[in-house]
Amino acid sequence: MATGVSILPAQQLAALNDAYRKAVARKRLKTMMAGAVFFGALVVAGIGAEVNLRTLFTYFGNFVSYFDRILTLDSGQRVWTDVGEWFWGWQKWLKLLAETILISYVGTLIGAVFAFALNFFTAQNTSPGPWLRFIVRRLLEFARTVPGIVFALVFVIAFGLGPMAGVLAIAVHSTGALGKLFSEIVENADMKPVEGIRSTGASWLSCMRFAVLPQVSAGYASYALLRFEINVREASVMGFVGAGGIGQELVVAIRKFYYSDVSAILVTIIVTVFVIDITTGWLRAKLFGKEARA
Amino acid sequence: MLVVEGLTCRFGTKAAVDNASFSVQPGSFVGVIGRSGAGKSTLLRMVNRLADPTEGRILFEGVDVTALRGKALRQWRARSAMIFQQFNLVGRLDVLTNVLMGRLAEIPSWRSLTQLWPEQDRALAMSALEQFDMAQFAAQRADQLSGGQQQRVAIARALVQEPDIILADEPIASLDPRNTKIVMDALLRINKHFGITVLCNLHSLDLARSYCDRLIGMAAGRVVFDGQPSMLTDHIARELYDLEANDVIGGAPMPAPDAATAPALGTAAAA
Amino acid sequence: MSQLPKPDPQALRAKYPDVFERPASARLATPLMLLAAFAVLAFGLFDLGFSPSRLVSGLRELGWITLMMIPPDPGSSLPTYLSALGETLSIALLGTTLAACMALPVSLLAARNIIPSAIFRFPVRRFLDSIRGVDTLIWALVWINVVGLGPFAGVLAIAVSDFGAFGKLFSEAIEAADKKQVEGIRASGGSTLHEIRFGLLPQVLPVIAGQVLYYIESNTRSATIIGIVGAGGIGLQLAEQIRVLEWQKVSFLILMILIAVAVIDWISTKLRFAIIGQRAVA
Repeated sequence: MATGVSILPAQQLAALNDAYRKAVARKRLKTMMAGAVFFGALVVAGIGAEVNLRTLFTYFGNFVSYFDRILTLDSGQRVWTDVGEWFWGWQKWLKLLAETILISYVGTLIGAVFAFALNFFTAQNTSPGPWLRFIVRRLLEFARTVPGIVFALVFVIAFGLGPMAGVLAIAVHSTGALGKLFSEIVENADMKPVEGIRSTGASWLSCMRFAVLPQVSAGYASYALLRFEINVREASVMGFVGAGGIGQELVVAIRKFYYSDVSAILVTIIVTVFVIDITTGWLRAKLFGKEARA
Repeated sequence: MLVVEGLTCRFGTKAAVDNASFSVQPGSFVGVIGRSGAGKSTLLRMVNRLADPTEGRILFEGVDVTALRGKALRQWRARSAMIFQQFNLVGRLDVLTNVLMGRLAEIPSWRSLTQLWPEQDRALAMSALEQFDMAQFAAQRADQLSGGQQQRVAIARALVQEPDIILADEPIASLDPRNTKIVMDALLRINKHFGITVLCNLHSLDLARSYCDRLIGMAAGRVVFDGQPSMLTDHIARELYDLEANDVIGGAPMPAPDAATAPALGTAAAA
Repeated sequence: MSQLPKPDPQALRAKYPDVFERPASARLATPLMLLAAFAVLAFGLFDLGFSPSRLVSGLRELGWITLMMIPPDPGSSLPTYLSALGETLSIALLGTTLAACMALPVSLLAARNIIPSAIFRFPVRRFLDSIRGVDTLIWALVWINVVGLGPFAGVLAIAVSDFGAFGKLFSEAIEAADKKQVEGIRASGGSTLHEIRFGLLPQVLPVIAGQVLYYIESNTRSATIIGIVGAGGIGLQLAEQIRVLEWQKVSFLILMILIAVAVIDWISTKLRFAIIGQRAVA
């Protein structure tokens, strides 16, 4: 084996090594401190959340056996040996599932329309006035930060039980989430075409329609589709608080220990989410090419 | 001695390297020249076994390198050190750790994965860095260095592998003229001083002529020239490089502007 | 005023038929799509029981509720709320950390540049996707059945549902890593383990840390709601006060959540800047 390096004399080497160690030690100390702070926070949080590792270990078996139980029919057989029995309530569930999807569709579309109407006010480059921008921004922030299900809780009281509350809750939350994303797209839009259109004597509205909209519409549709996918998941739990959809059935099945029903409903939800995930992904790729997928 | 026999590498139907055969004497400095896309990179990567040949064999001191697997393969990779055009350092690791990567094949995994490097390996790495005036940067992150500095670290990494042969894949293509000279001189010194064989891909013919004892010319994956730099006439070089010839052959006069394009330029200037 | 020469419409029409007679499919595609979208919307509004009278009376009710929320007032339960908020933050932090620890090894199995064989990678991906398909609240219900009511069920619910999300995100980060650095390690004779430890992890860890920090923020939001089904934290108080129509307390709790999320957002953004630098966050 050939050597390409002659080892330096010990003294020179020691000096070099010392310098290296000193430089590295400073970095290491920083990392260690950050690690210690993080670990301390974990310990405090562990006490706060009443985490008990022993509980976890004793109950972990229960977690596994829970899945064993939900995959067993009343007759003691595995669920997939008798699919008819497993999905005995499929007509009812499919109807509720359709309602769930409809809730998220209507909620997303209403949210997207509102977000569309509001986002030109909030984007820095298109906003007609700073005070308007500030107010709309705060409103959107509020709608985005408060979880959809909290809106649903309140709306159930205001509008009565039923899917209407769920739709409105999803619409409000989506307005907040999409409004922010939409205005970010507008802020990234190229302003030179706007200048060009304005130079022909066009109004603010025309500028938005002909210079900004063509640049941003693909991004809008892409985000709206993504939001729809998220909202399907969200709508599946709206029934927990009485705001419509399949959640109502699920919560009853879980609480009353109708084990095989739990797995049947979960499977329907997961399959639906998959199908919608794949469809919207395909749509987004087809409509706007690869770059819009991110 | 490194022997390459009928080496072929196909990607789909296209052959990147097509039936290449040659042998390299220990201690020589061989330049591989040709246009971009001629298969120079693939050839070197196959020698290091980063790419797998479709056909043919590579023998080193009688051992069939193409048949190596597992630990033996990793040890061969360590013996045939590779230097890349883009340096291929780990940007977020510090310079010394990057050089110590060259010792991975020698050190048991439990030591290297826990970063408990043996003292003599640290000394080796530090000495290699000092040899290229890079020891003062040992604790810096590699991605904070300039291109020339990064390539010197990469050469240090190659050297601590204690290789029998160094494979340099366009080592100077991303560097400025000053660093080009530093890097090429370093390779030459390694070759002459320690007798390590160097197999070096070069785009520039001038550099190849002044540094290498022997040139291998490739075109469309085939070896089309093999001999002393003095045997490489301008005529052969022009065939090798085709349209790029004037870029790589220094001192050649610029051709007169083409008659067809001249009026267009003229009208543009007039308008 | 300058005048353009008078055009001859007939000749233009004959010369460029494509411009004047665009096929119906091209002209009508966008309006038809919009029309279909809004037709489904109208059907949905009808089917889901929307009616103007319900909307109006509901909005009036909502107006009353909003009025009754002002001013926010915790009454005498401020200490309870503060400790519930602390519990929520703990759930978010622990759940996210646990999820990240579980997801890192699994994400390696789901990354194309580590496991090239699709047969092996595909089931791992699908598994992660199906976990992601189930909402955090559902996981919370399941865990309550297993470990009983309380914040611990919340921690586990967040951990499991984030495990799916992290597995996907991490594996994408791993796939986006620079191949050249890994190749450098391989060319020096490193084993697969070395490639991962020295070539991949230094590139990927900062990205992952950024994502984890971001999720701590978004999980604070999730953790506020899992209390609604009984898995601990401030959501329990919130659902309770809404049920008994104590609107001033409700608005106070929502205010607390907003402030807490804003603070966590601020901290996590600061930390992300510190870890990956300004440029990489955007």
